[in-house]
Amino acid sequence: MSGYKTRRGKDISFIIGITILTFLGILPLFHIIATVFINGVPIIAKKGISFLTNTLSNGGIGPAIAGTFILIFLSSLIGLPVALLVGIYAYEYPESKIGRATKTLLQIMLEFPTILVGVFVMSMIAIPMGTYSAIAGAFALAIILMPYVAVYTQEAMREIPFTYREASFGLGLSRVKVIFQILVPLSKRGILTGVLIGLAKVAGETAPLLFTVGGLYESYPASITEPVGAIPLLIYTLVQSPSKADHMMAWGASLILLLIFLLIFIPIRLKLREVRL
Amino acid sequence: MVIEMEKRHYIGIGVAVACIIVIAAVAPRYISNEHTVTLRTTGATFPQYQIQKWIKVYEQKHPGVKIEYEGGGSGHGQEAFLQGLTHIGRSDPPVKEDMWNKFLSTGDQPLQFPEIVGAVVVAFNLPGINDLKLSSEVLVGIFMGNIEYWDNNSIKNLNPDVNLPHKKIIVIHRSDASGTTAIFTTYLSMISEEWAQKVGAGKTVNWPVDNVGRGLAGKGNPGVVAILKQTDGGICYTELSFAIEENLSVAAIQNKNGNFVNPNKESIQSAVSQVSSYIPSPVDGYKEDMKQLLNAPGNKSYPIVAFTHLLVWQNKDGKHYSAEEAEAIKDFLTWILTEGQKEENIAPGYVPLPKEVAQIGLDAIDMIES
Repeated sequence: MSGYKTRRGKDISFIIGITILTFLGILPLFHIIATVFINGVPIIAKKGISFLTNTLSNGGIGPAIAGTFILIFLSSLIGLPVALLVGIYAYEYPESKIGRATKTLLQIMLEFPTILVGVFVMSMIAIPMGTYSAIAGAFALAIILMPYVAVYTQEAMREIPFTYREASFGLGLSRVKVIFQILVPLSKRGILTGVLIGLAKVAGETAPLLFTVGGLYESYPASITEPVGAIPLLIYTLVQSPSKADHMMAWGASLILLLIFLLIFIPIRLKLREVRL
Repeated sequence: MVIEMEKRHYIGIGVAVACIIVIAAVAPRYISNEHTVTLRTTGATFPQYQIQKWIKVYEQKHPGVKIEYEGGGSGHGQEAFLQGLTHIGRSDPPVKEDMWNKFLSTGDQPLQFPEIVGAVVVAFNLPGINDLKLSSEVLVGIFMGNIEYWDNNSIKNLNPDVNLPHKKIIVIHRSDASGTTAIFTTYLSMISEEWAQKVGAGKTVNWPVDNVGRGLAGKGNPGVVAILKQTDGGICYTELSFAIEENLSVAAIQNKNGNFVNPNKESIQSAVSQVSSYIPSPVDGYKEDMKQLLNAPGNKSYPIVAFTHLLVWQNKDGKHYSAEEAEAIKDFLTWILTEGQKEENIAPGYVPLPKEVAQIGLDAIDMIES
């Protein structure tokens, strides 16, 4: 019986240990969310809806919100199609030279310092155009976005049991049809997760925008070839100021950014659970 | 059937997203369809608080002009100005000769002039102590790491009325490249041979206190100030505006004439007036030397004054600005150097330019062609 007792004791202490470690692991996340809410809610409550619509010198971050949405949309438009195709290619031809090179390059791109992407795009697009622009920012963000989506696409497709592939070919479908009508729909959960992680990353990026979008906070963006603002860039600027009022604005903007992130992420994430093979 | 349902679902989401984007992109045009000019100013973050205050007040009086503030630091400000990405560049240190020549190679004349001054101050965290005098030797000794405790005799002798604790001095400095560090270390190099030889001056230096374990580093002025507030016995250098906004205790520094002066409007303006003759004509900006502007003579002068400059183009043959932009730039900059220097438009921690120094900028503005 004593053997049972020690084993049971070990079991319980292990579970307690794991629970504590898990709690410690997610504590920072909740701490961040709580801090942002505690500091962000008062300023938004004070300014009300005008915080979301006014320009910066009138105490609002409207143009920054518009800029962030424009940048997310444009960078997806540029980055997603390419990334999906690259991911599918890397899955379909894993042994070919290009396939292997692609995989290595994707890993490197994942770890690439984002500030260098900004500098690169500044010299390639902003300087030749003679102006900062939403397009330049979107290009920089697309470069950040692509490796995430491509890697997730490839991994998601690899998880599909090989029998589905065999069965599809057995039915006489062409390769294109097998990939785009059978395998991609089957792995859409993993692919969409990659897209979401990519979008979330892009929505919160500051460094690639530093030298590419310029910022626009006193008027709403009117053209994608002109400068735009972005919420994370505005936060970065505001916290450098000695002014307490600017710090308050930055907390409010952080809360809005967090809400945008959660609003994109949670509903789609919940919906995806229903998908099964 | 299932697939069709899902397809329709995706199309729905796609259409919804597209609608939101189109509305977001188009609606503002209808909301604000009156004609506006947007000007952009890029670079040094030292005058951020002041520039944003000017923008706010100016835009209220001139609804047809929007001014965008962009940070990035002095180096980025010069680069963006060179590339024509911004209308008004900002740089704390004066532009160096090789960069100035690059400006000239665009075929246009750059103009550089100061728009506001501040100061680099020495702040400390000793509970219960608000006033402290630091001589040149003691200041260097502390940042050199030679003076280890706050109740060191050299500090005691300067501050006989202050009850100094037996605490270790922790020196807090910047971890990032910084114009504030450049000004402060240039000043230390000017008042101390030893500092000039062993450490030197620059945007980043190897802090001797780090080697003896009494140095801490923070990113940006906010980072340095945050560490100072948590460090009993800490001392740091930062900008006057941060010291005021964060209620820091600031030391009186010994000036060239041997007097101990606190950084305030009077002592900073006194220093600026003493060195104003060293500020070159706007067309020769590269001739400005930071050393000539520091450690100013005069009984009341605060020794570590921080200048910050604007860069604009003369706009020969409309090379950089449209007529409309040039008019708006002239009006905004003139306003900055006249109305903007009045007490009610000055942000905490900045000091208006003496008349004769503001005039340098006004002369430059007259040269802008529209």
